Amino acid sequence: MSKLFRFRVLTTAMYGFVIVYSLFVLLPMLWMVFAAFKTKREIFIDPLGMPDSLTFVAFGRSWAIGLGAFLFNSAVVTVLSVLLIVLVSGMAAYVLARSDYPWMRWVYLLVVVCFAVPVHSVLVPLFQMISAAGMLNNRLAIALPYAAYGIPFTTVLLYAFFLDFPRELEDAARLDNCNRLQTFLRVILPLSGPALASASIFQAVFIWNEFLLALLMLTRPALKTVPVGIFELTSEFTSDWPAVMAGLSIAIMPIVFIFFFAQKYFVRSLAGLGK
Amino acid sequence: MPSLVIDRVTKHYGGFRAIEDVSLSVERGEFIVMVGPSGCGKSTLLRVIAGLEAITAGKVTINDRDVTALEPADRGVAMVFQNYALYPHMNVAQNMGFGLKMSGRPRAEVEAAVRRAAEILRITDYLAKRPKELSGGQKQRVAIGRAITRAPEVFLFDEPLSNLDAALRSQMRVELSRLHKELHATMVYVTHDQTEAMTMADRIVVLNAGVIEQIGSPLDLYNRPGNLFVAGFLGSPRMNFFRARVETVADGAIEVAPVGLHERIRLPLRGGSVAAGAEVMLGVRPEAFQEEAPNGIQVTATVKVVESLGRETLLYADAGTFATTASESQEGYIAVHRASQQAVAYGATIRLAIDPRDIFVFDPKGPTLRYPERQLAAD
Repeated sequence: MSKLFRFRVLTTAMYGFVIVYSLFVLLPMLWMVFAAFKTKREIFIDPLGMPDSLTFVAFGRSWAIGLGAFLFNSAVVTVLSVLLIVLVSGMAAYVLARSDYPWMRWVYLLVVVCFAVPVHSVLVPLFQMISAAGMLNNRLAIALPYAAYGIPFTTVLLYAFFLDFPRELEDAARLDNCNRLQTFLRVILPLSGPALASASIFQAVFIWNEFLLALLMLTRPALKTVPVGIFELTSEFTSDWPAVMAGLSIAIMPIVFIFFFAQKYFVRSLAGLGK
Repeated sequence: MPSLVIDRVTKHYGGFRAIEDVSLSVERGEFIVMVGPSGCGKSTLLRVIAGLEAITAGKVTINDRDVTALEPADRGVAMVFQNYALYPHMNVAQNMGFGLKMSGRPRAEVEAAVRRAAEILRITDYLAKRPKELSGGQKQRVAIGRAITRAPEVFLFDEPLSNLDAALRSQMRVELSRLHKELHATMVYVTHDQTEAMTMADRIVVLNAGVIEQIGSPLDLYNRPGNLFVAGFLGSPRMNFFRARVETVADGAIEVAPVGLHERIRLPLRGGSVAAGAEVMLGVRPEAFQEEAPNGIQVTATVKVVESLGRETLLYADAGTFATTASESQEGYIAVHRASQQAVAYGATIRLAIDPRDIFVFDPKGPTLRYPERQLAAD
């Protein structure tokens, strides 16, 4: 077998795998969108088929339960959490990447260890803390835990980025009369756009889709986020599946939209994680 | 009045001694070049002057002002970095004016200073461009322009030309010398390139392992190196070193037996003392080898490498047991410089003659024992 032939076989096999995997991920989404156009009857009679007619009735029913408000709530919580994460992680990562103190290594390790704590294991104490603080049914009740869970990952991501940040630029800034904070704000932040963008997108996707904490902490209908809000369409005895699918189709749109335009940053930053 | 005084400066990183008790005084308008091998502390010393590194002990004074505890921006220095260190998100004019802007100077003053510096460096056409749109040479001009804009009392250069290609480098060397004369500025320049050091410096500071080995004018260091290290560092190809043993010491002269030769050579000393039986190092510059020398030593050698440079030729020749040590060639070949084109091929036998008057003698662990009696130029 020639080298070229082997290379072609390998390439074909890899493409085949990627195509199959993509279908595995995309088909359920496609099914979701099709299901959103079906009637309640149709969805049970012919679950896998194409919808008979292009009707937006399910979208209407879904919107009627207050999807607009849920979207707004999700947006507020997401923006708030992401801002908090980026601000705190950015400064923490910069200090970790630049400090000469040996014990900063340990701080860094501690941050990495925070990955290892699954949210489910701290759910009960977290609920008690938030409840004791009187913060249930407050947007901060989920924004703060989201930030707490997002900060370690983002710190590590930005740490790798800042390690590679040319120190000469910081030296030049010091000679140009910048103090540490000015150097960070005027030189480092403006040049960290791609890293900050990818970190933000990553966290935004997670926060936008988060269900469990939002379900526990926010019980007032006016505060519910999209995943929890749509969940209202299901109940023990009857579930309006077309409306659920319509709601989810709407819910994923902002994220798909952001992904579509920013996937370049997203991939690049993850590629830099191995440092 | 000296423009810059470094007074017994020491810098330690934990247990590592980067700079040890270094003192240096730079006159106003002087062009000082600091050279030395990697890790000798030359860049650290420059960063110490800039204030980018805090020092362990000592004092730095600029124009009679103690700046030891001052921030870099308050010292009246400007620095040009090896990789330019231009801010990618600002255009050329903003890059050049950033320092003045951060110091709260009025906009008109900043713009005037930027324009003036741009005119000196002939970069007025690029002012609106971003650094990434510029070539390496243009970027370095902007970096120098940024330094000029700040009108510093001392200019600091950290290997500014090492990222440029050879042609551009010699062009920028001339440019920097012109700037120095035009601005009458005090400049401290760090490089590992001895051509830069020899061509631009008023005085060269040779550093090694965190201490100053010697300070002097380029020709002074070339002709009268204070020790073996300086002798080996300046000159390309390096000086040829040969091991030798002192046979007799009499009347201010020594008789040495070079390793690998039967002859003994009588060499008058110029100060320094050495005992019979001591190991010394003889030094011969590549250009000191002649074809005939009436009173000299003759050796026959086989040409191993020929480097024809057009107007000059470098030969590396194998003289058998009479081998160089710690010189340009790892194999012990003798480096020979001929000032003309040579019709010599690999394997040819050549005669090398050394006039004793051209020989340096070094104490391997101490100062130079003898300089050649003849110098090419009176300095």
